[in-house]
Amino acid sequence: MASEGEDPDLALVEGVGRGEQAAVRRLLDARLPRILALARRLLADPDEAQDVAQETFLRAWKQAPSWRPGQARFDTWLHRVALNLCRDRLRRRRETAMAQPPEMIDAGPTGEGALLGVQIGGRIEAALAALPERQREAIVLCHHQGMGNKEAAALLGVSVETLESLLGRGRRTLRAALADLMEAVR
Amino acid sequence: MTPDRFAELATAHGGDIGRWPQDLREAARAALASDPHGLGAVLAAEADLDRLLDLAPAQSADAALLGRLLEAAPRPRRSTGAWWAGLAAGLGLAAATVAGVAVGVASGAGERLDRRADAILAAAYEPAEPDTTAEALPELLDEATDL
Repeated sequence: MASEGEDPDLALVEGVGRGEQAAVRRLLDARLPRILALARRLLADPDEAQDVAQETFLRAWKQAPSWRPGQARFDTWLHRVALNLCRDRLRRRRETAMAQPPEMIDAGPTGEGALLGVQIGGRIEAALAALPERQREAIVLCHHQGMGNKEAAALLGVSVETLESLLGRGRRTLRAALADLMEAVR
Repeated sequence: MTPDRFAELATAHGGDIGRWPQDLREAARAALASDPHGLGAVLAAEADLDRLLDLAPAQSADAALLGRLLEAAPRPRRSTGAWWAGLAAGLGLAAATVAGVAVGVASGAGERLDRRADAILAAAYEPAEPDTTAEALPELLDEATDL
């Protein structure tokens, strides 16, 4: 992880701002998978995750020509944009009362091999989706996105102590929800 | 670091001390060294949950998404020098076009004049239809004069 004040994406962002296609491709290679993963795990919906990733990078293309180093790491900025887009979509789901739980995959004890993997993945996705939003965000940012506690706390607008509490409560809930699967990963 | 605090941190940050907040890692490792069995079990239990969480589906970008993003990405901006060079090239092209049109008009007139002269000569020296030639000759001459 880069230390504060050091942005590993800076040269690429400047290249994108100058319209260099090689920089565009390298930035997409480096950051698009992360943003897609973030959106997928927050929304539990592959199509919506693609939409969020697309919108995030379209905003990045607009931002790149005027990007000022030092204001934030570009990856953090991308996460903030994507996080807000995900929150908007989750809010709309709630408001329109169309918030069907993410498609639950039957986790019955019948699967084997790849099917078992899909089932486990579906169970975990569903368990994440069932968490309170802030707990889910904390776990996805820290565990899946590998963010440090200060960076994640800043992104969520909470103290590091509150972040620790969100993580702890979220993980305890997940452990209880997934208790029957723990044996599978030992 | 007390065992309780160690357990709290493990519950929040998982079974890999290397992923805990940087300022707590040294104390955590010291605590683990002092109670490798008990605190090791705490870490192992959290590592199981970590591995399970790693199985949460992610997804890769499809070609259509990549294509849309590449298409929408910024294009190279022209420098001032390139702008002036472009302007000069544009003016040159415009001038060449005007000159080309002028030459084209002039050469077109010449061709028509030549055709009329040929017709006049043909009518004068090969009078297949004398009456027609006599009638046509003034008209052809008029047209040639107009050119």
